[in-house]
Amino acid sequence: MAIFNLKKREIECKIVYYGPGRGGKTTNLEYIFKKYSKQITGEMVSINTEGDRTLFFDFLPMGLGKIRGCDIKMQLYTVPGQVQYSATRKLVLRGVDGIVFVADSLEVRREKNMLSLKDLQKNLKEYGLNIFKIPLVLQYNKRDLADEGIPLMSIEQMEKDLNRQLKAPSFPGSATKGTGIGDTLKECAQLTLKALQKELQWAQ
Amino acid sequence: MGIKESIKKLLQEADLYKKHGLLDEARGKYTEVQKWVREHDRIQNKEKILKGIANKIRLLDSEGKRVQKGPQSPELSAKAQDLIKKLFSFSKTDSEEEALLEGAIALAKFGQFERALGEFKKLIDKESHRVVAAKNVLRCHIQLNSEDTAADQYEEWARNEHFPPAQLEKIRLFLIEILKIKGIQRDLTPIPMEEETVQEPEEEEFIDISSIGIYFNAGPAKDKVVEFDVNFQSGNMLSLIISKNDAKTIELIKEGDALKDLQFFSPIAMFNGSGVVSAKSEIRSGPKQGDFCLDIKIASK
Repeated sequence: MAIFNLKKREIECKIVYYGPGRGGKTTNLEYIFKKYSKQITGEMVSINTEGDRTLFFDFLPMGLGKIRGCDIKMQLYTVPGQVQYSATRKLVLRGVDGIVFVADSLEVRREKNMLSLKDLQKNLKEYGLNIFKIPLVLQYNKRDLADEGIPLMSIEQMEKDLNRQLKAPSFPGSATKGTGIGDTLKECAQLTLKALQKELQWAQ
Repeated sequence: MGIKESIKKLLQEADLYKKHGLLDEARGKYTEVQKWVREHDRIQNKEKILKGIANKIRLLDSEGKRVQKGPQSPELSAKAQDLIKKLFSFSKTDSEEEALLEGAIALAKFGQFERALGEFKKLIDKESHRVVAAKNVLRCHIQLNSEDTAADQYEEWARNEHFPPAQLEKIRLFLIEILKIKGIQRDLTPIPMEEETVQEPEEEEFIDISSIGIYFNAGPAKDKVVEFDVNFQSGNMLSLIISKNDAKTIELIKEGDALKDLQFFSPIAMFNGSGVVSAKSEIRSGPKQGDFCLDIKIASK
């Protein structure tokens, strides 16, 4: 749940990057940290990683400037993707306002994507949130690996697997190359702010 | 595509999965190549290739074990711990003590027991949170495998009359319970309570648990945490109705079993803890016939 400081006219919202382990959530944040330095208001912090696996979470604070007279601050988080870190995922998800689901385009990760999305739905439900109602954007990551001859799922296949019912905005992406990363974040930020505007009526 | 090219392509794919940390997928692909090579007699250097692949699989397995095991919650830097406290304290009140407690709990949830211990100790002298803080101090000691320190800490509180007798008794019973879960029988000095101060023991305030995650170290859900909904709760006693479809999963759970590594989920908090199976029974009649009823008593949270 976003924090709305009426006195300071400041809104702080939380966007969580969710998805299967090794899908590119941290790489998304790393790219954002490098590319959008003007909007970054602090260091990117990776809390406890093992090699390049996230065990706790990554955190990146951003400032989006003033919108309708309010200072908008956005905190980006990633969750650990590995199945065994379920409790941490749930903890990080608490108070979420918008979600980017980073799906892995590799054919061999098809089932993992679906399980992770199901896990997200379940965890949101625990907090009384509905996956169909929360601002959500899907990113089909690792599209660049097609160039290396690795079997990828088609976008159509991924849409069918993950987005048939959700009908959320979706973007193909490559977190290592930066393709689609900005678009994903912008879309999620817009959806989140629209939802907050509706909920908090902060511009009236 | 010739045999040589096919093998090369499969190996490249496996190597790439490995590079991306997809260990299971890499293993699957190496195994596929291994099988393929075994089935073709006309491959040159067959034994050498098989040996090379076996070696790659061995290395993957050892990496997989390391990842699966994970770190034993190492202490993070003070900066990272401060961030955890800040980001995961959800208290909306202005109470400094409440914020301190939430911060300490957040640290404990992330396995930062040393620091959490220090934070809980600061709350010992605050009347509103002293029992909760004391229990958490003991719990942190236990998590740090310092059962003796936990017991010594209790004895010190008992000696210096740090707590009123009724509160100290609660703390003593709590410690006995969590030590018992660890398989440790320890006599802790009880504090004699004056007749007029003896009160009916208050029922422990437990937050509502909506589901519980049980870690299985054997059976079909080996090395997995399976989450079950809580159907009924009375204090620290949780009742779960488990579908007959999950009968195999819970087959190894028996009455009296101590369950470690439990995850408790509620709408306002999540925490790890342990419990004891108080009862396990099959439902013999009604719409839930064939399902199981499992009662778990929360031992520590």
